[in-house]
Amino acid sequence: MNDKAAIHFEGARVVYPNGAVGLAGIDLTIKPGEFVVVVGSSGAGKSTLLRSVNGLTPLTSGRITVGGQPVPKQEGRELRRLRAGVGMIFQDFRITRRLSVMTNVLVGRVAHVPGWRAMLNLWPAADREIAFKALERVSIADKAWVRAGDLSGGQQQRVGIARALAQEPAIILADEPVASLDPVTTHQIMRDLVRINQDLGITTLVNLHFLDLARRYGQRIIGLKAGELVYDGTADSVTGEDFKNIYGRDPDAGDVLDASVAS
Amino acid sequence: MSEVSDAPPTRPLRPARNWALIIGAVGAVTLMTWWSARGIGFSVVELACNLPGGRRLLVESWPPDWSFFPRLLAPLLETLQIAVIGTVIGGILAIPIAVLAARNLTPGFLVWFVDRNFMNILRTLPDLFWAMLFAAAVGFGPIAGALALTVFTIAVISKLWSESLEAIDMAVPEAVRAAGGSWLAMLQFGAIPQALPHYVSYALYAFELNVRASMILGLVGAGGIGMVLETQRSTFEYPRVTLIVLSVLVLVLIIEQISESIRRRLV
Ligand SMILES: Nc1ncnc2c1ncn2[C@@H]1O[C@H](COP(=O)(O)OP(=O)(O)OP(=O)(O)O)[C@@H](O)[C@H]1O
Ligand SMILES: [Mg+2]
Repeated sequence: MNDKAAIHFEGARVVYPNGAVGLAGIDLTIKPGEFVVVVGSSGAGKSTLLRSVNGLTPLTSGRITVGGQPVPKQEGRELRRLRAGVGMIFQDFRITRRLSVMTNVLVGRVAHVPGWRAMLNLWPAADREIAFKALERVSIADKAWVRAGDLSGGQQQRVGIARALAQEPAIILADEPVASLDPVTTHQIMRDLVRINQDLGITTLVNLHFLDLARRYGQRIIGLKAGELVYDGTADSVTGEDFKNIYGRDPDAGDVLDASVAS
Repeated sequence: MSEVSDAPPTRPLRPARNWALIIGAVGAVTLMTWWSARGIGFSVVELACNLPGGRRLLVESWPPDWSFFPRLLAPLLETLQIAVIGTVIGGILAIPIAVLAARNLTPGFLVWFVDRNFMNILRTLPDLFWAMLFAAAVGFGPIAGALALTVFTIAVISKLWSESLEAIDMAVPEAVRAAGGSWLAMLQFGAIPQALPHYVSYALYAFELNVRASMILGLVGAGGIGMVLETQRSTFEYPRVTLIVLSVLVLVLIIEQISESIRRRLV
């Protein structure tokens, strides 16, 4: 646990060019090694929160520091260095289907090797080793040389996780990582994320749609509503009343993953 | 279901045809054709009177002079070589030009603007112009032809491929940037793989065009089979001209078959 893995939000505010408010001034501290689940209804600002940490969505005012360093507001070397230490996992996997699983995972090393080496596919042995270790950690090392597009959805998301791990990141941001997966795969992926957090101490922020998943896997739960922080507490202490407050309505069957599969 | 059969809704009436527009358009085209034909002295009557001349030309051109074939091999090969050089060099140079011209990938407006206009200029000027330009610069011969086709290839591929690049899904390139990747890494691992089949397809297409074009380029002295065609035509050796046209036709058909089978394998 090092403080490279801490995140501070100070009056973090995002207003999109069309006037939509993504974040309405958030103050928040994420401690190193925490596993934080972010919940909120559609449009609450969950994605914006995550994307502001690695500068994919720049703040319009306020500031965010990652490991004490402010997140640069412009693309460039500084921002790339910060991103190198922050892995991101997406709902739609975002791997290059045409390339091999291995190449996709090595993308997690691009910021760590000289540009010409990546360009010519001449990855140092040490980086190949890191990529293989990452694949082993999500149990798909046997697929290393398969075309990524030929894998199942769950396997493709594992490639996405392995790519993030290959960065040897201090922080992992996962934006609804299980929203395109079936219930069984969902639990496998969530367990992978928790295990990685526990084994490697990587600070993890996960956006989730389902309340039961949030309660089950989160240590700490953060609730967003219209860009504001409306809940911040432990997963054990969160109540139905809290969820009602976050969602602005009573939770219904659509807000939980099929409970019968959860074991 | 029952509601539909019980009470048929009033169906909208077919709108009346806009006759004024149709008559106007047909009239305008007719008028323009008549005006143009008059301008260039095009007359069907005169054409009919000249038909015997055309028939005589056809009769004189047949059968092809097969004995001339051995002397065609070297120029045919040269044509092919001109097309290969033009396609390969032009194909490589087209890559950065296409990338910079793609709105979603270009690093800045100024680069995009300059590159776009550069592309437009290349495309506006015909291949014959480039052949004459390079012939003046490096002398008549195959080098001038290859250079002209290089420019022609850049023009063809960069335009088509930059449009393919603009149509890619930007989600994966964003993921590469999120991993700390540079602009080049974003291109290499996120953007270009998506549009690679298009690139190969356009390069093959450019090669087909180049084989055909290198025949025309020969007419202005840029090497290859076109130069032979021009000398035989100017000395009225029509059976030989027929043979040349036939052999180019066969060459083009073979190349189209090969590139078509490669293209099928890509998809
Ligand atoms: N690129 C964008 N341009 C304009 N407005 C945007 C953009 N991205 C998000 N917004 C707006 O910002 C607000 C927050 O969006 P955000 O995507 O962060 O919500 P979310 O909680 O992730 O929602 P979901 O659960 O649907 O993914 C919404 O009102 C949304 O319409
Ligand atoms: Mg979202």
